[in-house]
Amino acid sequence: MVLEVTANKISDDAETKDDKANELFRAEKTWFEIGVDTDRDMRYGAWQIKEIIDLTLPPLQTQKEQYLINFDTDVEQVELEAKLYYYISGGKGDVVYSVKKTLEFDVD
Amino acid sequence: MRQAPVRMLLALVTIFLLAGVQNATAKEADTIDELVAMFDDSKCAECHEEIYKEWQDSWHAKAVNSSLGGMRNFIVVGLAKEWNTKLTKTQVLKCLDCHAPAVNYASEKLAVEIGELIVKAKDDKDENAKKQLAKLNVGCLSCHNIKATSVSLGLHGAPKKGVVYGPNGEDGDDFHESIETPDITRSVFCMQCHGVYKAPDGETIQCNTLSGSYQNSYISMGGSKTCQECHMKKGHLFPGGHDLDTVKEGLGFDVQFAQYQHLPGKIKGVKDAKKWVPSVVVTAFVENKTGHRVPDG
Repeated sequence: MVLEVTANKISDDAETKDDKANELFRAEKTWFEIGVDTDRDMRYGAWQIKEIIDLTLPPLQTQKEQYLINFDTDVEQVELEAKLYYYISGGKGDVVYSVKKTLEFDVD
Repeated sequence: MRQAPVRMLLALVTIFLLAGVQNATAKEADTIDELVAMFDDSKCAECHEEIYKEWQDSWHAKAVNSSLGGMRNFIVVGLAKEWNTKLTKTQVLKCLDCHAPAVNYASEKLAVEIGELIVKAKDDKDENAKKQLAKLNVGCLSCHNIKATSVSLGLHGAPKKGVVYGPNGEDGDDFHESIETPDITRSVFCMQCHGVYKAPDGETIQCNTLSGSYQNSYISMGGSKTCQECHMKKGHLFPGGHDLDTVKEGLGFDVQFAQYQHLPGKIKGVKDAKKWVPSVVVTAFVENKTGHRVPDG
């Protein structure tokens, strides 16, 4: 499961519509199902796993992820997006939730 | 001395009876088709059509072919390379006792053949092997017979041939004998396979740790729902991580954006150090509402 937070500059200029060029911030938090045993070895085979360090989100718990983002002094408008992905297997991730917010800053 | 013939006779009768019992339980299938016939689920569909349709779309119905990679790795990497151990029924059952419980009733030869088919299906992408393996799964009688009494063998004994174990023991209109087994409605029943698996030889196999997090983190924190309460909302389809609605139901997501202007001169690298810096605090709360850790499966 992955939480992805991005901030993109909103620009009216057609030449700068490219998402990558406009990306101002990106952060990810991953909750892993399996991977590290108590001997600090990576373990993926079911027969190899005896005990593992729990890197998942435990039941009945809420985890908080907080990001302080500073933009440049000429940034007037940004679009923030937070997405929660669930990966049923390594390659296939579904967006479970997505929240978007546009912010405008007075730069004068 | 006069008692000797009587003792001899008793011993012979005992040996005969034991042999009889052994034969009754030693009936093993030599082919996949024989094995499937021993636990023929298609008969269930004649009366329980809707439930059967739900099950057909479930991951239980494709529990072997959907997990070929992991099982192939156990055979090719775990057994052959790491353990330097021969493929035997005992070893194959470390996967298939859960992925296809009927294999418990396969002969040694057939169990090994099934293990070889798994490798063939995965490595050679052999469609015929996949077709054969598709006949094996977690079928109706896997839960309602083969595994039905496992969690309380002392109370219920070994599963009886031809008997259908269920939550209420309602009679199958003479089609089959039914026995009430409340265990089947409890989490512990699912935890036989959805958790740390202990093989008969003592080996621990951990495909996932749902049962550990359910018992040690959910129940201990005051949770009281059973696996079945959430995962049988769509009947015998048993939706879980593959079903986006179920995933959504199990997770909470709240995001807060606090926009502000950061004090001039405090943030390095900005174009104009004398200006207020456009800033935001993004706080995301991710809640696990399920009875087990997430992700897991």
